[in-house]
Amino acid sequence: MKKLLFIGTAAAALVAATSAFAYDGTKCKAPGNCWEPKPGFPEKVAGSKYDPKHDPAELAKQGASERAMEARNAKRTAHFVKTGEWVYDVDEISD
Amino acid sequence: MKAHLKSGLLASASIAALVGFVSGASANDKLIELSKSNENWVMTGRTYASDNYSPMTQINKENVKNLRVAWSFSTGLLHGHEGTPRVVNGVMYINSSFPNNVYALDLENPGKIKWQHKPKQDPAARSVACCDLVNRGLAYWPGDGKTPPLIFNNQLDGHVVALNADTGEEYWKVENSDIKVGSTLTVAPYVVKDLVIVGSSGAELGVRGYATAYNVKTGAMVWRKYATGPDEEIGIGDDFNKANPHYGQKGLGTATWEGDAWKIGGGTNWGWYAYDPDLNLLYYGSGNPSPWNETMRPGDNKWTMTMMARDIDTGELKWGYQKTPHDEWDYAGVNVMMLSDQKDKSGKMRKLVTHPDRNGIIYTLDRTDGSLVSADKIDDTVNVWTHVDLKTGIPVRNPEYGTRMDHKATNVCPSAMGYHDQAHDSYDPEREVFYLAINHICMDWEPFMLPYRAGQFFVGATLWMYPGPKGDRQNYLGLGQVKARNVITGKDKWAIMERFAAWGGTMATKGGVMFYGTLDGYLKARDSDTGKLLWKFKMPSGAIGYPMTYEHKGTQYVAIYYGVGGWPGVGLVFDLNDPTAGLGAVGAFKNLQNWTQMGGGLLVFSLDGKSPYSENVELDEYPPEMPKL
Repeated sequence: MKKLLFIGTAAAALVAATSAFAYDGTKCKAPGNCWEPKPGFPEKVAGSKYDPKHDPAELAKQGASERAMEARNAKRTAHFVKTGEWVYDVDEISD
Repeated sequence: MKAHLKSGLLASASIAALVGFVSGASANDKLIELSKSNENWVMTGRTYASDNYSPMTQINKENVKNLRVAWSFSTGLLHGHEGTPRVVNGVMYINSSFPNNVYALDLENPGKIKWQHKPKQDPAARSVACCDLVNRGLAYWPGDGKTPPLIFNNQLDGHVVALNADTGEEYWKVENSDIKVGSTLTVAPYVVKDLVIVGSSGAELGVRGYATAYNVKTGAMVWRKYATGPDEEIGIGDDFNKANPHYGQKGLGTATWEGDAWKIGGGTNWGWYAYDPDLNLLYYGSGNPSPWNETMRPGDNKWTMTMMARDIDTGELKWGYQKTPHDEWDYAGVNVMMLSDQKDKSGKMRKLVTHPDRNGIIYTLDRTDGSLVSADKIDDTVNVWTHVDLKTGIPVRNPEYGTRMDHKATNVCPSAMGYHDQAHDSYDPEREVFYLAINHICMDWEPFMLPYRAGQFFVGATLWMYPGPKGDRQNYLGLGQVKARNVITGKDKWAIMERFAAWGGTMATKGGVMFYGTLDGYLKARDSDTGKLLWKFKMPSGAIGYPMTYEHKGTQYVAIYYGVGGWPGVGLVFDLNDPTAGLGAVGAFKNLQNWTQMGGGLLVFSLDGKSPYSENVELDEYPPEMPKL
């Protein structure tokens, strides 16, 4: 009984200690870099059960799309500056 | 020789600066001059201070009870109608929900549509809009003699169009965002000098946020700056955060992420802008990091959730203050920026920018260098932070209300909808009071793992939302507040509960009346000093835009859009019943449908309903003149 009570108190103390050291945003590695893993969570998720396993091909899609839009827009503007006529369909713009 | 060269360089540099200043200033002045006139409302927030404050007094606390509808206009579309119309030189320009029609009405005879622009858009754009098919408004550029005055409209499908303000014809049209990767546009364009600034949407689909400046005359891209990634892509140079190095400086757009997660890191900016012509700085906030599941993106996730000040000509980031490091609640930091000049607690006159954030804190920073002046809770029921340490700039977390995998967080305040969302508030410079349209919603939150596929939703959390502690949790009412806040003292002059979230924003007037629309379909007028309700009108549908006012032929009008929707309206709009649907908004707003249905249009009010038609009943009759018998 006494032993049981002791274990209970120790567990309670441990819980209290964990929450006291839990991520509160105030302990910074560097200015503007104050993230910490929460108790029981890894510093890096790669290789852990929380690994997002992102596909690099998927991650590259936005950048590729933006560069393509920028190139089409540049063509439209160049044509507009040259001719005074805005043509949206880049296939109708002859170089 | 060296010294000579140096002084020569210096001289040419200062001449260039001078030339830049002079030519820039003249283009600016036209819009600034127009914004000063009571007859115009040329931009978001009325002036570059973005304070939604009108010096007009014709409608005041004594006579506002006589306010009546003068005329109205239906846009012919349903879904949420956000923003407010523009009025320039006797013409009103009206924006709508998807497909983002634009209407021009002549104030001499608003019954006749002067021109209309009806874009043909890929209907697939609808499927990648997170939070209803809304649009926050138009921008106006006054013309320079060679290029005609232009109206700018952002379309949900990612296009930015410039329309001839006189004829409505397309002047140019560029692609800013690609719906195939989940990127849309709901933000209002913003004109400064000869540039139009365009934000971005799609953090719920993993879109890495960027802001772009286009040359108004040619559509040419002048700069594009991102919220995450390498410094040069964010616009971080040697001077960044010089006055507050503890906010963080170089390298953090990648160092506060694991691996390449910043490439789908969110930080889109779909809120509002303000601009200071003396400092040449553009102010706005970047949105939430992606995904909502915090466990999938360890790190502070800079520079999402950041109050940003960019040089308008180059896009260079002068200062940036991250309000919510490593977001765990979707507190997208895009809310309104309002500029004011006030004395701080020590009596020193300061140039300020005030920003009520989703995270429950209202921030006031020195807008010259980003120094924190105050950061107080919007409501005392905020529990995710104990406080914001003004010295370190760090919001101190209460770990009990954080979110994480394999855990359901409960009673978290504010909810993901924030204690403040896209509402465009107002500031009364005489009373030195901000009129805040506030949400009072808390939540439970449980994240889940999910893959990223470009063009698909990338949220990863289930939410249950409900009224905050001061509302009625049994009956799902009491989801909003309206407050008059002094940000120097941190005290409220008055505070009032609302049945639903005050989603659209407020407008203040020198007449001592502040106006706002409600989700349950009222336009309300309160005494600016006491908050006493002076007048209200039942509109056809709830309001999610903010009121505006203008004078035409000596009469003051107050106008507001009706048409419920946006995030709080998604249950009603898409007929959803699962309380966790609509990213958790369906449950919180299940009672909204008992007060309103969808709509879409504009109401214009004046004292006694005076209008061009009350003055001349024959106006707009057919035939224009009675035949002589």
